[in-house]
Amino acid sequence: MKTLFTATAAIAVLAFAAPISAKIANGTTVSDMTVTDSNGVQHNLSDFKGKRVVLEWTNDGCPYVQKHYNTNNMQTLQKEVTMDGDTVWLSVISSAPGKQGYVSGEGANALTRSRGAEPTAVVLDPSGVMGKTFAAKTTPHMYIIDESGTLVYQGAIDDNSSSRESTVASANNYVRAAMADLDAGRAVANADTAPYGCSVKYP
Amino acid sequence: MIRLLLSFLLILSSAATALARQTETLDTGKVTASIVSSLDSVQPGGTVWIALRTELDEGWHTYWQNPGDSGEPVQLSWTLPPGVEVGSIAWPLPYPIPTGPIVNYGFEGAPLFPVEMTIPAEVEIGETLSLKLDFYYLVCADICIPEEGQLTLELDVGEPESDPIWGPQIEAAVLESPRGGDITGAAEVSNNQLMLTFKNLPVGQVSEAYFFPFDQGVLGHSTPQNLRRGEAGIALTSAPEFLWTDGIAETVSGVLKYTLDGEVRSEVVSLATAMSLDIGAEQISGASIGLLAAAMGALLGGLILNLMPCVFPIISLKALSLAKTAHGDRAPARHSAWAYTFGVLVTFAVLAAILIALKAAGAQIGWGFQLQSPKVVGLLALLLFVIGLNLLGLFEIGTRLQGAGEGLVSRGGLSGSFFTGVLAVIVATPCTAPFMAGAVGYALAQPAMTTLIVFLALGLGFALPFLLLGYVPGLLAKLPKPGPWMETFQQVLAFPMLAAATWLVWVLILQVGANGTGLLLIAFLLAALAIWLLRLQSAVMKGLAVIAALGAIALPLSLTAGSQAVQSATLNSEAWSPERVAELRAEGRPVFVDFTAAWCVTCKVNEQLVLKTDRTKALFEKTNTAFLVADWTNRDVQIAAELERYGRAGVPLYLAFPANHDDVKGLVLPQTLTFSILEGTLG
Repeated sequence: MKTLFTATAAIAVLAFAAPISAKIANGTTVSDMTVTDSNGVQHNLSDFKGKRVVLEWTNDGCPYVQKHYNTNNMQTLQKEVTMDGDTVWLSVISSAPGKQGYVSGEGANALTRSRGAEPTAVVLDPSGVMGKTFAAKTTPHMYIIDESGTLVYQGAIDDNSSSRESTVASANNYVRAAMADLDAGRAVANADTAPYGCSVKYP
Repeated sequence: MIRLLLSFLLILSSAATALARQTETLDTGKVTASIVSSLDSVQPGGTVWIALRTELDEGWHTYWQNPGDSGEPVQLSWTLPPGVEVGSIAWPLPYPIPTGPIVNYGFEGAPLFPVEMTIPAEVEIGETLSLKLDFYYLVCADICIPEEGQLTLELDVGEPESDPIWGPQIEAAVLESPRGGDITGAAEVSNNQLMLTFKNLPVGQVSEAYFFPFDQGVLGHSTPQNLRRGEAGIALTSAPEFLWTDGIAETVSGVLKYTLDGEVRSEVVSLATAMSLDIGAEQISGASIGLLAAAMGALLGGLILNLMPCVFPIISLKALSLAKTAHGDRAPARHSAWAYTFGVLVTFAVLAAILIALKAAGAQIGWGFQLQSPKVVGLLALLLFVIGLNLLGLFEIGTRLQGAGEGLVSRGGLSGSFFTGVLAVIVATPCTAPFMAGAVGYALAQPAMTTLIVFLALGLGFALPFLLLGYVPGLLAKLPKPGPWMETFQQVLAFPMLAAATWLVWVLILQVGANGTGLLLIAFLLAALAIWLLRLQSAVMKGLAVIAALGAIALPLSLTAGSQAVQSATLNSEAWSPERVAELRAEGRPVFVDFTAAWCVTCKVNEQLVLKTDRTKALFEKTNTAFLVADWTNRDVQIAAELERYGRAGVPLYLAFPANHDDVKGLVLPQTLTFSILEGTLG
């Protein structure tokens, strides 16, 4: 009888060990969701239809994020991209409470000020729902949604996966290249790249 | 004094280096690092293995050449005397390291990173070579820290002499480092599924296998790799990643880690893309614990099915017929038991075949599916009603209506036993007994042959008690002797039949509403009329009887599912959707999800005894738990998909997401709920 129970338990384990890979494919329309920013303002992704949306997963304690902020690389890109007013930049923090990178709304605003960052808004996602919807794996992990709400880029910010600040200058920035492709009406050449960095600190 | 102590320490440390060829150890934070050598001295023109040895703090890890979903590999940069050449790292075999939903490939403990150095012939004996290493690694627990350092190993040129401590360790590490071999492989994507096939494995039983690609973008690191064994090789299925859309090279390489006859092995394999290898027919015999366990579980589940309330009336009918044949010659009882078993097995095989066909057609289907069709429910209710009338003695067994189902069931002989088996299975399916859910869920996720085996095991378990009755004379002899009591017993059995019919009518009310149920009641009326007309000895009346009978059968067939499914719950409940669960979780509210269906008896029992009670209501209110109901009375693709996600093919399924629970997947509660389980989970 005991073996029968063990056998049954084994089946239960086999049957339940089936997680699902939920990566959104490029070219699919991103389903609408409501997110809350560091000032407590709610945004629907659908509010941004007609604009391009750049999503940046971030965690200020992560060395790879620090690489891009200490070298002013991320801030420059934010400024460049949002300048014409047709692109929205959302920095997303999916760190769970108690984990690295988790900040309150006030904390997030203080970070933005001290780093001279210029995102349109900082989205707080402590439950990880938004992060898991996009299957965000690393900080930084970058996404671009085009004017029609279609996902057109996902992956790394650039092609140098080192945490050394000296590597930033010579790296090929995928996000900048993708924005140029979109501006020129071309399909994004490198639309799906391997994200690098720290793991997102999900709950 | 301090100077004395320092010089003492210096002597100690130089004594240590004299014992083994290594540098000092450098503490970079979470890791202490040193360079170690396989030889104490190396000869001109010889080779030597030099390794970076890292000792990681408990709970921290560094990364393999492909770090997986995040992270960065260990990096070595050598500055060497002129002429000294260095090979690439002989990487240790990595482990998949899951962190939440993310999977990395890396190392814990004290991994060695050996490289082979070739010493030029020109160096002089007695010379000392300075091997300088700049190393860098990202070390992570839940947070990540980049650490780096610089170490220089001084290596003497002379007679080659193995290092007593590091020589054997480095040798073992190099031997264990995966290298190329006989295994050939291929990778192909079809239907958005990545299939990796491997052939030419050493002879033996493969129990586990995992492929670590050298490059990112080949496969989803966090997607489990499901192993299938063929006679000529193995296959792993996983999810393709972006290289397959960006343009994949003609071959992709990586390390196949596999367990052969209990021993972990690994080999570097190069996979030809856009093709698969024929790994031969599915290996059944080997299959092993998974299949054997599933079959045993199914057998047990089948046995338990006999006790389910919706099967019991049929079973008692069978007991009655056995009681009739039990006396005198034993052979008929035996034949009857086998006929019954055969009926059960054939029906389970047909069910399995239907499931396999529908699964192949991509349909979402689950256990209890038959009763989701109002036509089937209607006909079954009619059948049970007529059997009830039969048992009450309104018409006689086996003399009339030979063609109809109830006649088949209750008529004596082998065909009667066979059809009792068939009917028992059909009525049993909605009662997903706790043991069965896992087995069926397992079977549905498996290849066709496994599904069939599990279903047949289920059937065998189901039929076992009767088979036993046929063979153990002692049991049969204990059955009461035939007599006038049998007529009474038969009439008593009519009531479970009628009760089952009543239950099905109630199911139908939920499925098609009042008008549809009205049609069924008219069918009952016509059936009763037909039976009564048949008793009259007139050809005209018999003709009318046939018309009435046809009408009775036609009416349930006209039933189609309406949209008027009624949700009855005294608890404040809302309809389930994955989005709603996520929303409520984001609000920080505990959530309880009840996957149920009107035709599911276990669900109803749980509702009456546990869920719809005042104290449960109070518990939910006190803990502010949201009660979500996923009603599977009619087919619903989304619910079927969610059940499958939890490895279930049927209801009930109870999921709890307590406030402090931080897994995306909820806690799966037992199928037989109790208040204390609820309280313990949510309270």
